Amino acid sequence: MPKRSVGRTTGSALMVGALLVASACSSEGGGSASPQGDATLVFGVPQPPNSLDPAELHDGVQRYVWGALFDTLLYLDHEGELQPAAAESWEYSDDALTLTLHLRDDLSFSDSEPVRAEDVRGTLERTRTTPGPQQGNLSAIDSIEVPDDHTVVLNLSEPDDNLLTSLAQAAGVVGDPETLDDPQTQLNPVGSGPYTLNADQTDDGVVYVLDRRDDHWNAEEYPFETVTVRPITDQTARFNAMIAGELDAATVNGELAERAVDAGLSLTEVEGASLAQIVLADRDGEVVPALGDVRVRQAINMALDRAGMVESLNYGFGVPTAQVFNPLSSAYLPEGEQAYPYDVEAARELMAEAGYGDGFTLAMPANVMSMQFQATLSQAFADIGITLQWDPVPAQSSGQSTDWAAYWNIGGAAPSSRVVAQYFAPEGSNNPFGSSDPELNELIEDVAAEVDLGEADELYSRINQFGIDNAWFSPALWLDTIWATVEGVEYVGSALSMQDLRVFDVSE
Amino acid sequence: MTLYILRRLAAGVMLALVILLIVFLLISSSFDDTARTMLGQGATPESTAALVEARGWDRPVIVQYVEWIWHAVQGDLGQSAFTSLPVRSAVVDRLAVTLSLIVPALLITAILSVLLGVWAASHGGVIDRFAQGISLVGHIFPALLLAIGLVVLFGVELGWLPATGYVRFGDDTLGWLRSITIPVIVLVIPGVANMSAQVRGRMIDELNRDYVRTLRTRGISSRSIVYKHALRNAGSPALTVMSLEFIQMFGAALIIENVFALPGFGSYAFNASLQGDIPVILGISVFGVALVTVVHLVTDILNGWLNPKARVH
Repeated sequence: MPKRSVGRTTGSALMVGALLVASACSSEGGGSASPQGDATLVFGVPQPPNSLDPAELHDGVQRYVWGALFDTLLYLDHEGELQPAAAESWEYSDDALTLTLHLRDDLSFSDSEPVRAEDVRGTLERTRTTPGPQQGNLSAIDSIEVPDDHTVVLNLSEPDDNLLTSLAQAAGVVGDPETLDDPQTQLNPVGSGPYTLNADQTDDGVVYVLDRRDDHWNAEEYPFETVTVRPITDQTARFNAMIAGELDAATVNGELAERAVDAGLSLTEVEGASLAQIVLADRDGEVVPALGDVRVRQAINMALDRAGMVESLNYGFGVPTAQVFNPLSSAYLPEGEQAYPYDVEAARELMAEAGYGDGFTLAMPANVMSMQFQATLSQAFADIGITLQWDPVPAQSSGQSTDWAAYWNIGGAAPSSRVVAQYFAPEGSNNPFGSSDPELNELIEDVAAEVDLGEADELYSRINQFGIDNAWFSPALWLDTIWATVEGVEYVGSALSMQDLRVFDVSE
Repeated sequence: MTLYILRRLAAGVMLALVILLIVFLLISSSFDDTARTMLGQGATPESTAALVEARGWDRPVIVQYVEWIWHAVQGDLGQSAFTSLPVRSAVVDRLAVTLSLIVPALLITAILSVLLGVWAASHGGVIDRFAQGISLVGHIFPALLLAIGLVVLFGVELGWLPATGYVRFGDDTLGWLRSITIPVIVLVIPGVANMSAQVRGRMIDELNRDYVRTLRTRGISSRSIVYKHALRNAGSPALTVMSLEFIQMFGAALIIENVFALPGFGSYAFNASLQGDIPVILGISVFGVALVTVVHLVTDILNGWLNPKARVH
């Protein structure tokens, strides 16, 4: 295992711990800071944006490019807290059915045209009516009004606690409605973001060169004058590019971390960046009756040697967990980690109590995400009498369907509202059987209508407790992301940071 | 000859239709998964079903197949399900990158293989064993291992050549040359290992034939016998091996382009398969089949030119 002499980021502490000083691998121009903020940055990402059309944007790593070209209405900071962005303030009506956003008055598109409320309405209307990755995030919007050039009013058909989070993500970008339907928007859109795409030097899917707009209202948050984003799918190729000095920053996996240190790179460990877990989806036992018994689901939770998985499967770069809310989230329950200690004997007893002492067979989809974990999971399940049957599925198949009673899932850390929307809501993507419960339904309804964020956090905690008590999931570990950077560049984000250029800074 | 070419092209079209039908049937079970991938983490059963319907993927497979073929014969291969960009231009763009690797690699492979094969066959002894040794070594190392080893040596440790990335020929010729050097070496080594062994074997056969003995008794120089007579006769099977090498290099490109982060046909196919980008997978299949058909056709025509007995009328 590599030495843990790496920087770590956890929420408000942007960068804690010693950063190893790079001695040999500084690339040309990489992080060459100047007081004027004319540094350049070249970094690698695992995938390019599918499209730069606002209705087709994906959250996650694809944001590194589109997040530079577009402003979002709101912003989630490194602690996961909502902050103003294109909208300088916002307020809900008491019944949480009307959200009023007040736009800044110094917004402008890259063609120098001012951004008006009508532009926001046009973009939101198009996104919510276009089948695509963001349509569902705006489904609660019933109508949009623009009383003046700087005010946007969203009338909702029902309260939606996930809406503010969505407006800080891809669903909340501000595009230019006059050009949205132009095919060119897919490759080089007109946005009001802090950068413009350098079309001459950009090769779609291969390299994206971004030039900072010094007239952008938030330009001072972006110290790099020119940013080059290089999508490199293969992680070994990304690592080679990093140590060859072709990149200033890239993620490396745990296996390569020690070599990165040896090569003189600084490492920053972003704790809890993604959650690896078994979603025990068939909670009513429709496909596998045994999973309808909470004791069986609890037994599965107790069969996992989570600490061992962190060490043996992820080179120690991770944290064992028994809950789906991120440790940085205010809904996180430290005592929840004690709910299901690794105890095979106790798990077997629970299986026997539930009438499954002789075990049963559980089919799970075998895909790219599960490959690394299959052998360990099979052994853990076998220890309590469950035979795991791994059925190969196409690479793009996630298992999030009623074809599978349970599936292995790796998902990025998300704000509480999005965790509830994806994992607990009956229509959630990670609730394919549409499981529900009166107690849970009430909590979800309450939190959706709660406009006081503090009160909402309390409700999220109770939802988390419900998930733990009823063993809706069998979380295993939070996987860390490790950023390697050259001298002059530092990674300052956290697991809850938006994946955009604000996670990079110039280091002294 | 014209009739023969037309017949071969028609067979290629039939082959493409059958292969595309098989591809269509294979991927038809993943339409839901593709829609879910397109929608990302927020996909719900309702939004997935709506997208499948909006794309027309809920219709009978055979209807979709016929409709797709109808558009394809008009030159419209559709748009990528993920990027919405036209498939045809994207594939052509990627194909150009891959061909810019494979064509130089194939030429170098052919030249080195002929030199090595002829040298080994005509000299024998230590030289022959040396050539066989090179062939054996080339066969032993898998392309992936070779690629990683050369990247680490020349790209990372020595820093002589870029470890990743591609520079377009028109943008910077020297940069292009630098960016393809290691990938081309990776393609050439197994190619030479295979093809030089074939040339050597065929040359030994030719040099032992009666007409060679006759030429020798007439005082024709060894050089002339080897290069003017034996090599021409050995060229025909070598050409067939070369065409197979060309196709094999396309397969190898799938791995090599990922290792070197090259935006070619192979990496495009790889990523489209991972995502389940149905229109792109179909577009790639069309180009793949067309390429194989054309390469075999050209090989047959060249074989006829080299060897009159192989000519078709």
